[in-house]
This record gives sequence, C-alpha cells and structure tokens, in this order.
Amino acid sequence: MIHFTNVAKRYQDGHEALSNVSFSLDRGEMAFLTGHSGAGKSTLLKLIMLMERATSGQVIVGGQNLARIHKRQIPYFRRHIGVVFQNHRLLFDRTVFDNVALPLEVSGANPRDTGRRVRAALDKVGLLSKEKLTPIQLSGGEQQRIGIARAVVNKPPVLLADEPTGNLDPALSEEIMKLFAEFNQVGVTVLIASHDLALIKHMNHRVIALNKGRITSKDTIKSEALDVS
Amino acid sequence: MLAKSTQKPSAKQTPGSNQKKANNTAGAHVASPPNAFKSYLNNHLKVSKLSIKDQLERPFASFFTCSVIGIALVLPTLLAILLSNIQSTDIDWDGSAQITLFLKKDTSALDAGVIANQLEKKDNIESSHFVSKQAALIEFKARFAMDSVIDYLDDNPLPHAIIISPSPELANISHIEALKDRLLKIPEVESALLDVLWVQRLQSISSFVEKAIYLVAIMLAIAVLLILGNTIRLAIENRKEEIAVLKLVGGTTPFICRPFIYMGMFFGLGGSIIAIILIHIILAILYGPVEELAASYQSDFDLSGLNFESTLLLLVIGATLGWLGSWLAVRKHLDDIEPT
Repeated sequence: MIHFTNVAKRYQDGHEALSNVSFSLDRGEMAFLTGHSGAGKSTLLKLIMLMERATSGQVIVGGQNLARIHKRQIPYFRRHIGVVFQNHRLLFDRTVFDNVALPLEVSGANPRDTGRRVRAALDKVGLLSKEKLTPIQLSGGEQQRIGIARAVVNKPPVLLADEPTGNLDPALSEEIMKLFAEFNQVGVTVLIASHDLALIKHMNHRVIALNKGRITSKDTIKSEALDVS
Repeated sequence: MLAKSTQKPSAKQTPGSNQKKANNTAGAHVASPPNAFKSYLNNHLKVSKLSIKDQLERPFASFFTCSVIGIALVLPTLLAILLSNIQSTDIDWDGSAQITLFLKKDTSALDAGVIANQLEKKDNIESSHFVSKQAALIEFKARFAMDSVIDYLDDNPLPHAIIISPSPELANISHIEALKDRLLKIPEVESALLDVLWVQRLQSISSFVEKAIYLVAIMLAIAVLLILGNTIRLAIENRKEEIAVLKLVGGTTPFICRPFIYMGMFFGLGGSIIAIILIHIILAILYGPVEELAASYQSDFDLSGLNFESTLLLLVIGATLGWLGSWLAVRKHLDDIEPT
C-alpha cells in the first residue's frame, strides 16, 4: 500500500529531514513510526499525503507514484487518506457533526448520505450523542476522537496519525490506540507516528524507527532498537 | 463563474481516475456520486446562503465595506447621468445653426427679397427668411426695450437681413461653415453670422466630460478592486486554519475559493445597491436647483435619473467588480496557505 524507495527529503534551508528511506507497508497492515522529535516522522507522513514532495527517491501510495500526481489532483488523492493530528485541527466555529462531515462535503457527497455516514463514524468513536456540540465543549480525548471520526468518515484505505496521543494521559492514549487497531482490523492500512514507546510496545505491532532521517529498524519489534531511540 | 469553469473539467477527470485507484486499493468508498452536478449546485447554493448569513451576522462591518464600494460607484455614475442629460438635452439644432446674412446698406428691400427667394431654392438650404431692416428695428425695440435710445437716431442703423436655415442633411458643423463661406460670396452680402460656437463648445465639453468619466470610472473601479481584494485577504487570513484543514481533507481550490468569491460578489452587489440609493437621494436634492437653473435659461430641461437599464447595469458592474476583486485576492493569497 505504501512503498518508499531510497527517499530523501531536503528542505530549502538545506536541512535533510529524510535520507535513503526505504520501507513497505502492505495493505491492511498497521505500523508505528518512532523516533525523537526531529527524526523525520512528520516529514515522512507529509510525503505520504503530499504535503511535501520527496527530493529524490520514489514514494508509491495505493499504486500511484506520488511524483506523477499533479498539484491540481492532490485534493482528489487526499480523499483516500485519513489523517489525525496531534492537535486534532478541528474547526471550533462548527459543530462536531459539521467537523466530521467536512471530508464528505468537499467531495460533494449526497447530503442524505452525509448524515448517515457522519453518525456511523461518530458511533464508532463513541461520541454519537455529542454531534450537536462544538469541539470546545469536549475534553481533549473526545476532541481527538472527533478528529479520528473525521479522518475515517469517507472510509479511506489509508489512515495516518501524527502523535495522536501526544496531549493525552496514558489511559486515554491507550483508548485512542485501540480505536486505530479496530480500524486496522477492518482492513485499513494504519501508520502512526508516536514516541510513546511504552504504549507502542504494549500494542505489539510493527515498528519503523527513524533516527536523524534514517531508518534504524523497520521490522517487528526489536527492543534494542526501541531502547536506542 | 470562473470557479465553475475550472472546477468542472477537473471534477470530471480526476474522480474517475481516483475511483479506479480506489477500486484497486482497499475497495474504499469514494464520495463521487452519480449526481455530481447536483451536489455541485447544492454546494453553490449552500455557500451563497452561508455567505449572506455570514455578512448579516456582522452588519456593521459588511455595511461599511458595501458603503465604501457604493460611494466609489456613485461618482462615475453621477457624472454619466449628467453627461447623458447634457447629450439628450433637446439642442435645437435646426434653429440654432442658423446663418444670418447681413446685406449691404445700399441693397433695396426688393432685391433682398429676391435673393432670399433664390436661396431657398438651393439644395442645401432648408428655408430662407427675409427680415427687412424695419422689422428688425421693431423686434430690436421690443426685445431690448430701448425705444427711447432708438428714437434719438436719425435713421434705422440696421441692415436688411436674410436668415438661412441649412438643410438638416448638413449635420456637420464644417459643412455649415462651408455653406456660410459660399453665401458670403454673394455680392449683396456684407457679412454672415453663424451662431454655432456654443454648440461646438457644448460638444467639446461633453466629449471632455465623457473621457473624464471613463478615467474616473477606471480609477474608481481599480479602487473598488483594491478595497475588495483587501477585505477578502483579511477574510482569508481569518480563516487560515479552516482553509488548511479543507486542503488536508481534499478540498479542491475552486471549492475553497467559492465562499470568498461569493463574499466578494455580495459586497459588490451591496455596494451597487447603496450606490443606487445614494444616487436617488442626490438627484432628489439636485432636482430643485437644476430646475431653477434651467428655468433661468428658458429651457424646459428636465433632469432624468437612473432608468431601469442603468440600475441593472450598475448592479451587474458591482457584482462583476466584486467577483473580480475577490477572485484576484483569492488567486494571490490562497496558494500561500499550505497545511503544515
């Protein structure tokens, strides 16, 4: 589903965020991306959703070579990728319902369909009763779950998350991670950037470790690799 | 309008290719319903409603923006109304472009009458009318009430005159002047007077005003574009996060632009409406003084205001400027916002 081949990303200021990164994530697989802050986790995720473009190397997502996707086609490409952010990026001037409906609205979904699908997504994250509230009335954990509902509402085949538990306490974090695992169980390819090593160990999924822009480990859990980072 | 044309082709091509991709990936559901056009129209309707609602929620800010645009539209419109009033004033052309031939002193009334008759038969002369010096004196006395002064004179100082009306085909003043020159060659004619100077002046004034209106209109149109561009830029700035999120969840540029384009169009329309109201008020105030002025010139000049077509035109101009201004602003600033 996601294939990186010798990917490098050098920013305009000369900083090389990623160098010689190669890995593959199969369809329906779930993996964690770990490393210190500045190790290149966010950059890697940005490359997958075309917020940035690779300086060299090849990124293939869902069979599409991202280098060949024209700027104008990026929106259509992004509709196949759900993204969850650390600060969830909800819009506070809209209700929970409208926030979750956003991806459907931009893709021109039928309004009747929208209601059904938004409620299905809210139900999945356990917040069906809060659809009429605004995000500001919710707790941090709830806000993050709304962010997840928004990411999955149009059933994307790929789900990315950048430090989704960064602002949450351990119990809430585990809850959120379990939610991701549930989506993975129904066939969604999930890639989560996180430095919460204790939690990652606990989840028992594949781990890709980054250090200074290079992959140090990309197989199943290797505790020594984790200890390094 | 333009959002439509850029949206349609891309919306047609890419969902198709994406659906293929979706099918061979995880069998994902992609929101590209068969009634794409309907949902596209729905979005336009929704966005335009939201945009109006948005502006009504901030009545003062919206009113000020519309007022600035309205005032900018008032000036050229008023000038244009003034010009069209001048141009449509019934300039008594046939009457005004008269040539008065003053005959030599020794010409007898009989000869003068014969000349007048002969002239009337000429092609480019509509009519010719002999005015004897006696008649001229009577008219002179009547008009200027100077009986006593005239009475002191021994004899009538006025010459016989022939008043010529050129035929209406001689629309151009230079033709009439050529006719005057030919008439001057008649031996009995002492001098000829062509009273068209004021017509010429009026014509050159009105063409000057016309050019001035264009210049003022262009400058004010640019001002309106800048005002709108700035307003839209601020609106974009205020909704930066929303734009970034929309880009992240797959909103196309036309989709993201749409609310701002509508916003600009409604500001332009609002500006036009304010301009129309202001113009009616100004014309109502000016009506009295203009009537008085016209009356003092014995003119039945009647100030005409905005008719239906020009009202409509003003609305269209306002909306178009609004659309253009916001489109330019959106073009310039939307690309700067990339999700990070």
